[in-house]
Amino acid sequence: MSQFSEYKDLIQAGDLALAWISRDNIKPVRITPGATFNTRYGSFPHDDMIGKPFGSQIAVRTRGSNKFGFIHVLQPTPELWTLSLPHRTQIVYTPDSSYIMQRLQCSPHSRVIEAGTGSGSFTHAFARSAGFVFSYEFHEVRYGQAKQEFEDHGLLRDGNLAITHRDVCQDGFAIGKNDTTTFFENLQSDDGVSPAKIDANVVFLDLPAPWTAIPHLEEVISQDSKVSVCCFSPCIEQVDKTVEMLEKHGWVDIEMVEIQGKQYESRRQMVRHLDHALQRLRDVRERKQIGLERRKRMFNKLISDQEEPYEERPETPKTEYNPFGKGSRVKEGDTGFKWKEVSKVESEIKSHTSYLTFASKIVEKTRDETLVTKITDQERENAAKTPIPTKGENKKGKP
Amino acid sequence: MDPVTRISFNTHVLIKLPSDNLKICELKADSDISLGKFGAFRTNDVIGFPFGTTFEIQYDNLADDENIPNVKKVDASKSSKEKFKIPVGNLKVIDSNFLAGRIANGSGSDEEFTPQPELQLIGNSDSNKNLINIGSSIQKLSSEEIEQLKLQSASGEDIINKMIEAHGSFHQKTVFSQEKYLKRKKQKFAKRFTVEYLSSSGLLQYLLDKGDVVRAMDMSEESLGMILNLANIRSSGTYLCVDETGGLLVYAMLERMFGGDTNDTATGQIIVVHENEHANLDLLKFSNYTEEFIQTHVKTISVLEYFEPPKLAEVEGALKPLSDDELKAMKSNKKGAYYRRLKWYNGQLNIIDWATKLQYDGLVVASTLHLPSFVPRLGERVHGSRPIVCYSQFRETLLELSHVLYDDLRYLAPSVMETRCRPFQTIRGRLHPAMTMRGGGGYLMWCHRVLPVDPSEVKAPVPFIAEDSVTTEAKKQKTE
Repeated sequence: MSQFSEYKDLIQAGDLALAWISRDNIKPVRITPGATFNTRYGSFPHDDMIGKPFGSQIAVRTRGSNKFGFIHVLQPTPELWTLSLPHRTQIVYTPDSSYIMQRLQCSPHSRVIEAGTGSGSFTHAFARSAGFVFSYEFHEVRYGQAKQEFEDHGLLRDGNLAITHRDVCQDGFAIGKNDTTTFFENLQSDDGVSPAKIDANVVFLDLPAPWTAIPHLEEVISQDSKVSVCCFSPCIEQVDKTVEMLEKHGWVDIEMVEIQGKQYESRRQMVRHLDHALQRLRDVRERKQIGLERRKRMFNKLISDQEEPYEERPETPKTEYNPFGKGSRVKEGDTGFKWKEVSKVESEIKSHTSYLTFASKIVEKTRDETLVTKITDQERENAAKTPIPTKGENKKGKP
Repeated sequence: MDPVTRISFNTHVLIKLPSDNLKICELKADSDISLGKFGAFRTNDVIGFPFGTTFEIQYDNLADDENIPNVKKVDASKSSKEKFKIPVGNLKVIDSNFLAGRIANGSGSDEEFTPQPELQLIGNSDSNKNLINIGSSIQKLSSEEIEQLKLQSASGEDIINKMIEAHGSFHQKTVFSQEKYLKRKKQKFAKRFTVEYLSSSGLLQYLLDKGDVVRAMDMSEESLGMILNLANIRSSGTYLCVDETGGLLVYAMLERMFGGDTNDTATGQIIVVHENEHANLDLLKFSNYTEEFIQTHVKTISVLEYFEPPKLAEVEGALKPLSDDELKAMKSNKKGAYYRRLKWYNGQLNIIDWATKLQYDGLVVASTLHLPSFVPRLGERVHGSRPIVCYSQFRETLLELSHVLYDDLRYLAPSVMETRCRPFQTIRGRLHPAMTMRGGGGYLMWCHRVLPVDPSEVKAPVPFIAEDSVTTEAKKQKTE
């Protein structure tokens, strides 16, 4: 069982954990006895984490200032991993990957082709749900890194993922014994036929030129059931070429869509009533009036040559009426004030990730007539056995 | 035959019509399914083909069949029901992308770059400058004549070809507008349909098409997919769920967990908490899982039972399960009563387990109850580090929830999210976003359950590294 596929209760030595420092700072940590995880909020000994349940807050008081510093130790999931992973390439973010998985009906029934692997973020999500994932990466260094990572994360051990070093645009998808692949390493002997039976019904192409890979799909997709493909391309010109090639190779239901994900900040805005603003101005005006009158008196005294025209400036009392805390630093949500809950789109949004071009294909639109006859006869037999004839049943399927 | 990839008897399937409408049908052996004006077919004729296959209903060979109704001389002996019965045609598998327009969007993605075969022989115009709108009189076929054609059961193609022939200025249209014309007519006259697997997206689309937006809580396919991913749904988890969509959400979870395979041996479970006396998971009636499978993997418990579970002592006091020997000695007329009591007893024990013992691997909520008072209480039994995902049609309710969760140290980084899918007209050379699309689609709140420490227990750091091992020893003892 991998760090990703098993729900773990306690943090143990050797586990891969994610240290949540802040929303945009999540770090992978391999739990090692004696080691320390250092952040600018403090140093956290791994030994403090071991034996505690995942999700535990780990806190320290920092030396000197005695401040309370903490992290949360989480068990990795594909979505959290996406937020924390070392970027080797541009990655597929959750709004895109979740839509693709939903639309391609990802489930234990899916046999997925993913090319290329890239940073491996989507591979994690596919591997969580799919029956088997065949991932391909043409960049040798990235292949090595991804393979190591999948190994470390236990994904290869789970037995439903294989990564192959291959330029699929050039050399297609078939996997043989002599290829650089993990496929034959983690299999029971009887599955080890070469070339591997891929039989994919879900295909995800995240390639610079997906149209060059499309012709190679024929030999590895399921021949007798519906196959769905999604091509992930940032440019509209790529979409055009992809659509051309898909049409040429008999793919149908071609549709391109774009996903826009947004996150909102939950904020509070101070409730400031007009009446309070009016009252505050009246207050200011009154004070001004007092000052003016004092100066007037002083002026009059000066004109009439009275002695000592100077009048002592009265002690200004601290503003009594300051409904909005003007001039002082008010923290958002300060309980001394009234607040309205508001939301605001995050300051930078991913306005374009890529275009998603979907299509589907059924290679063999035939049926086994003898089998169908057999099944139909069986159905009739069953119906005859049921004590009450299926009177109402015929209607069921009708409007 | 695999009922997940091939059309099988006794399953519910989604039927896509030329009008882009959807229908859910149960396929019973030896029965007919009527698609209204698009014709009718026999279930046996579609069994065994892969899902996604498109069929054309043909009446050519049946022309003399008594099945074809003749309006002019209605057989009076037939019952009124049979008079209006739509004749059942033969089926032909279609090997083109005619019905390509995907369920989610009828935006014309089925048009091809090259003019369709019907258009290749007809002239067209570079622009529509010679096209003068004289209304319906341009079509020389009267609507009666078209009706007559339909009654003669000419194929959709025939009718459309005749209409093009009889159209006064068809050649003056541009190719673009000819294609649009063709598409509109095909949606009306074609006798074709596609049988699709009933996926959770398909079920959602079916509800939306039917106008059941309220029932689906205005949820979009992209929001549904995002819920499943953010909640980290997998086949081995035990999830706590509130589903006000009548089972759509639970169905989507089941599909993600088991892929429609009723023989799946994975152990995952969904505990559904409902606010009424009984859970409403009505939509599961369309699912192709066996009742037994659903009972194993979907459990229901009311909010009252969940938040005020029965006391173990009371339940155990009410019944003492009998040993086998005692049971044998029991009179048969008493046995029935005993088994009823035993069922109740086991049910109560389960409720106690779900409400007080289980730790959940995720919480998924699609509810219109007041979330700030509901979700934090449901979250209590979620295991540390596991996700909580809350769906709402409105952002404001999630905003309110996120503020409450933000102040609660047991919930880490509540985020309010939105995801929107923008479909494009996908025709080469004419790519552009669809002119209209469904608004709405809902919002999500995502956070993780965490276990805060008591600040008073946090020690000041120790000045010397040498002592570190001592304190960690002490800490370890404390946690154990």
